[in-house]
Amino acid sequence: MAVSIKYYTNRFLAITILIIMAVWASLFYAFLMDEVYDNIDDGLKNQKLEIIREAYNNPEIIESNKDYGFNNFKILPSKPQEDIDKNHFSRELMYMPYDDEDEPYRILKTGFYSKDRVAYTLLIRTSTVEEDDYLINLAIALVVLYLVIVLSILTINYFGMSRGWKPFQLILQNLSNYRFGHTKSFEPIPTKVKEFQELNQQINKMINSNEAVFQEQKRFLENASHELQTPLAITIGKLDLVLQEGNLPEDQTIKIAEAKQSLHRMVALNKSLLMLSRIENNQYTHTEPVSFNEIILQKLAELEDIVQFKEIDVKVVQNGIYLSQFNAELAQILISNLLRNAIKYNKENGSIHIEISENEIDISNGSHAGALNPEYIFQRFHKENQDSQSNGLGLSIVQTILEKFPNNIIQYEYRNNEQHFKIKKLK
Amino acid sequence: MKILIIEDEVPLLQTIEEFLKSENYLIESAMDYHSALDKVMNYQYDCILLDIMLPGGSGLDILKKLKSEHKKQPVIILSAKDSVEDKVLGLEIGADDYLAKPFHLAELLARVKSIIRRNAQDGEQFIKYKNVTLNPDSRQVSVDGNNISLNRKEFDLFYYFMLRPNKLMEKTTLVESVWGDNSDQADNLDFIYSQIKNIRKKLKEAKADMDIQAVYGVGYKLI
Repeated sequence: MAVSIKYYTNRFLAITILIIMAVWASLFYAFLMDEVYDNIDDGLKNQKLEIIREAYNNPEIIESNKDYGFNNFKILPSKPQEDIDKNHFSRELMYMPYDDEDEPYRILKTGFYSKDRVAYTLLIRTSTVEEDDYLINLAIALVVLYLVIVLSILTINYFGMSRGWKPFQLILQNLSNYRFGHTKSFEPIPTKVKEFQELNQQINKMINSNEAVFQEQKRFLENASHELQTPLAITIGKLDLVLQEGNLPEDQTIKIAEAKQSLHRMVALNKSLLMLSRIENNQYTHTEPVSFNEIILQKLAELEDIVQFKEIDVKVVQNGIYLSQFNAELAQILISNLLRNAIKYNKENGSIHIEISENEIDISNGSHAGALNPEYIFQRFHKENQDSQSNGLGLSIVQTILEKFPNNIIQYEYRNNEQHFKIKKLK
Repeated sequence: MKILIIEDEVPLLQTIEEFLKSENYLIESAMDYHSALDKVMNYQYDCILLDIMLPGGSGLDILKKLKSEHKKQPVIILSAKDSVEDKVLGLEIGADDYLAKPFHLAELLARVKSIIRRNAQDGEQFIKYKNVTLNPDSRQVSVDGNNISLNRKEFDLFYYFMLRPNKLMEKTTLVESVWGDNSDQADNLDFIYSQIKNIRKKLKEAKADMDIQAVYGVGYKLI
């Protein structure tokens, strides 16, 4: 699962700090323990000196301290195997009346010779309750310190990261707004962070080179289409001349006429491609308020003969004027393509119904073809049922025109055995 | 009738030349900007066919020069650049017509004839063949002086036939010349067929000495 970089670094920070703190805390704890016990032990050794001195001057204390009393030491006769010259420290739990429970004591076991050269074992104890509490408190303090440090680092990290990565977020946002073919749609984010400045630069560079390739491709298409015109003109002209001579046998005349027909399909295709690349290369920039009602009526008048010939019933309902800021010529091509389609793919004795309102143009025609796939019909060279008379560019020209005027969209719908093409205004 | 063809593509130039010669025009040609300019400035032509992209300069500049010198020469622009701006610009500078490449030779001839007719001071305003007269301006056709009524498309078709009697007119040429579109031909070929049937019927009813004949299913011929 992807996590934000803010949280991604947190995991490492928390674990690393935990390890460092743990090592440091144990070393610190060991050092302090050592220091504390050293202090206690020094105190005990000092006490030993004082007791031995006292035992010299005042031998009766040897007899009166057979057990720990308020003096916190006891003197016992030494057992023969005991090494009385060594200081031996140990920890023991002993009952403490104040707390009514066993508490830790530090005990120094050593020995001495009395004035009369008798060996005694000396045991001195001191309570380490205070010191142990101190160490426990220290441990707690360390844990708290750890938590506080980790939490503050995480918080600082969170806010620091949020702030630091803000340009990145904005760059991402801008990238998602970027539309191919519109260089201006990506704007670099002003930032003082070197890496983001570089990112900006690199993205800009990438976009520019991509756009350049794209432009080049579009130009290529346009130039290729242009360059094809002259050879096509020559070929068609030569074939024309052969036909004009009129002294060819029938079968050859037919073959040449068929060759010419194919060439004309190529011319038509070439013209459509040229049209597409011209639209894409923004060669129709002039816009003006265009009344689509007028254009529809004008185009219908032009198509009247073939409409009559095909016995198609055309009905136009004008509920409003569809007015849009558009290129007049492209509007004509757009409407002409849609109407020609409606005529061409109509059924026998069919009908065309056009409904115009202020915000929508609905051109529908009766059809037996069934629903077309709206995902493909606007694609270049898409043909339904291998229609040899179509070059599959008509609707893609429509689509390309509308892409240049994004306030208007086209929708396709199949309803009640009718193909509907709707041009709508976006609010 | 003298026509100047300004075109740098040799095969295309030859094709147009051969075709127009067969239509009994006198042809001169120029293949680059300077020789073209030289010719248009020094001689008068009945029609000039002008390619825009020429070695040494633009055909549009030739037009501009003609205009600045106030020389009236009928010009048809032939251009591979079928762009609106070029067309508008060309017509604004003073061209009489604009034909995008590739074109049908029959279409070219129709445009040339119409330009020559328009520019002829005292020329023949009617097209006559046998006992039929066609007036392109009033769009009227008469047989032995009696008008016959043809609808818009029928007239356009018949006009093409009258321009070139006894010559094969291909169906595809007719479709494009009359229809102006070449994308959905199947429907239009049927349409042409029915229109020609109507014209034949009307000619026959008016007792015209001519008929439109189908040639091998490739096209038609006015005889």
